[in-house]
Amino acid sequence: MTTFLNNFPILAIMTLFLGAFLTSLVGRRFAPARNVLVVLSVTLPLAMMLALVKPVLIDGEVITYWMGNWAPEAGWAIGISLEVDALSLFFALIVTVAVFVSALYSFTYMNHDDSLVNYYTLFLMLSGSVLGLVLSGDLFNIFVMIEIMTFTSVALTAFRNRQEGALEGAFKYLAVGSLGSTCVLLGVAMIYSQLHTLNLAQIAALLPEQAENPVLLAAFAFLLVGFGSKAFLFPFHPLAADAHAVAPASISLMISGVLTKCGVYGIIRLCYVLYQNIDLPFVQYLVTGLGTVSMFVCVTMAFNQHNFKRLLAFHSISQVGYVLAAVGLGTALGLTSGLYHAMNHTIFKGLLFLTAGAVQHQTGSLNLDELGGLGKKMPQTCLLFLIGAASISGLPPFNGFASKWMIYQAAFEKGAETGNFFYVAVCLIALITSVLTLASFIKVAQSVFFGQYNEKFGQVREVPLAMRLPMWILAALCVAAGLLPELVQRYLLTPAVNAVFGVANYIDQAMGAGYAAAHGIVETALPELAEIGCWDPVSWLVLLFCFTCAIAIVALLAAPNDLSRVPVSSAREDGEALDAKYEPFFSGEESVYSQVGGSDLFWGFKHNWRRYFRLMHDWHSGVVNDYTLYAAVAMAAVLAACVILL
Amino acid sequence: MKPENKKPVFRRKDVVVRSTADLFLPLACVFGCYVVLHGNSSPGGGFQGGVLVASAILLVYLGRGRDEARHAFRSGLLHSSETIAEILYVVIALVGIFTGLNFCVNFVFIGQEVETSVLMNDAVGYHVMAGITCLLIMMLGVLEPDDGEGQDGPTGKEGDAP
Repeated sequence: MTTFLNNFPILAIMTLFLGAFLTSLVGRRFAPARNVLVVLSVTLPLAMMLALVKPVLIDGEVITYWMGNWAPEAGWAIGISLEVDALSLFFALIVTVAVFVSALYSFTYMNHDDSLVNYYTLFLMLSGSVLGLVLSGDLFNIFVMIEIMTFTSVALTAFRNRQEGALEGAFKYLAVGSLGSTCVLLGVAMIYSQLHTLNLAQIAALLPEQAENPVLLAAFAFLLVGFGSKAFLFPFHPLAADAHAVAPASISLMISGVLTKCGVYGIIRLCYVLYQNIDLPFVQYLVTGLGTVSMFVCVTMAFNQHNFKRLLAFHSISQVGYVLAAVGLGTALGLTSGLYHAMNHTIFKGLLFLTAGAVQHQTGSLNLDELGGLGKKMPQTCLLFLIGAASISGLPPFNGFASKWMIYQAAFEKGAETGNFFYVAVCLIALITSVLTLASFIKVAQSVFFGQYNEKFGQVREVPLAMRLPMWILAALCVAAGLLPELVQRYLLTPAVNAVFGVANYIDQAMGAGYAAAHGIVETALPELAEIGCWDPVSWLVLLFCFTCAIAIVALLAAPNDLSRVPVSSAREDGEALDAKYEPFFSGEESVYSQVGGSDLFWGFKHNWRRYFRLMHDWHSGVVNDYTLYAAVAMAAVLAACVILL
Repeated sequence: MKPENKKPVFRRKDVVVRSTADLFLPLACVFGCYVVLHGNSSPGGGFQGGVLVASAILLVYLGRGRDEARHAFRSGLLHSSETIAEILYVVIALVGIFTGLNFCVNFVFIGQEVETSVLMNDAVGYHVMAGITCLLIMMLGVLEPDDGEGQDGPTGKEGDAP
């Protein structure tokens, strides 16, 4: 292997940062020079990551890079390293592709805004920090990159600060996001105090020897909550909605497609590589449970939204919940399906956010009650939206189908193996969530692209080619990843999964051969993956039975129809108190122009679930103090559970 | 027309304050530069030294008032300096790769006590100096304007430029 290839990870990170600084220097006066710089700084890292595919993903090498040649001395890693294994490269490819598409889209999309130099500088810094996070081999550098990532994304959320709610959304994100970063810092400090090293490989070697150490268990809890907050998991999800609704669409793509993936990456590294405790049932329950709750709560929240991008934001967290539920299973199939869905989520959610941005760019509105009938005015955007919606709802032949199918199968197999009803329940909730996702996207399609059009938008035209091209790239990826799951699995997923399970190799590559064995970490046999797409009729039958049970559970969960028993007047009052349509922090802004049905397409469902929705309504108060409280409670609960039960 | 209930303001024409500030201004700059340049082998370093140099603007403010402090420094140039310092830092680190070695590796002072971290330290000092000065200029901008002239109220001289 040529040695210069070893420099590519650091060069890719530095290209993005250097691009940010140069943009800020020369871009203030010369807009064309700025655009050329931005294109160069997002294309070069993509090319470099693609060049690494051959050695890392196919040949299975691990690139270890010590800054300033400070290699480990006498078994202690004192230098700072980048360590690129197949898992890191897998996420780096997701990041660089998303950054590339988002930058291409920005050129035309942002042309209504001013002070674009600041936008591009922050954008490139955000990209560089995310790439640095996934490629880093050093725990403290991961924290530094998380901080850069949080602050640049907060600034970009507030970029359109004339828009109502932009500063507010950014402030909430800043306050609670900083709490998450602090958790990560605390976890890092605790690990350093016990193990006296910050290198990931060395931590992975030393940690299992001290698995009973309570300080390290507390560190595990802090890191899990910290990374979870970056993925906007369950108690953190209201932030994502408030931030996404006001951020530019290209930044929404970054926040949903890339930042949440960093949280997922952190959790995978934490559970599988550093602590290697994913085999413990408690950790599996914790991670899978968090994912399952996120996916269900967020999909029901999405039902109530009246703002296009708020709705997409809730779906985004719901899909990240799928990823985490699959990752938490701890099996090879679970991890494969989780990674597959993580990749697909970036693609289809990016596509959906870009179509929302296209609608916003042409009409100036994101209000589902105001828009309508845009399918004739913007036929290509409509088609692209339908591709994205079909993918996220898990319809064949798009990519969402393949990965969701694998997730169901993984959860179901895990349930069959362990005989534990919990995993069957996870599988069922995943199925129900998928159905609700489809229903929710039918609502969006009806409200935005079909139905009657608002006369206010009579002059709306299709977006320019420069904005359609990035969307077509993502749509093509949707179809390609859906039609060729075997290729994706062979070249992307299996190497990443093998890298995750081959911890000993990861340690030895950084610390020198034999280091892992000296610390009792043995090379395990790489897991054999069951055939994907198991068409066993018995499984189908059991699945059908379970599905029927699921419907029964939904029917039973719904509140009994007691309206007949209360007087009309009080029922009406009750109904008014419940009409959450006009509560900005629950479902978006008040509707001015309400077209037929679109937003209330599923009113019966919402009515049946009104008790649940009343609870959720109180929960999403929009007060940053409350959100901070949820974060603190989550932290305390996870901490107590980890220290007591682990 | 002076407001009646005005608080006693700091008198910036006070010759003691002004001459002391003038006296300490070069000292602060020189000491800050010393801390930056000597940072690799003594306590201190780029950040601390940069902040010391940036404190010069506060001395100008104390001695000469807000307007003069804002006119003495060009924030556009300072802003560019900040970016140039960042670029310098990255380039110094990257040269290690293109001399055939490693990122951040020592390529200048081979076989000597010092390393390239000296140069990076200087870049950090330059960056912090420019950045903190920019920040202080912004903070001075929101302060009340000078009223040492005794002819304008708190809102009198807002925004006049020579």
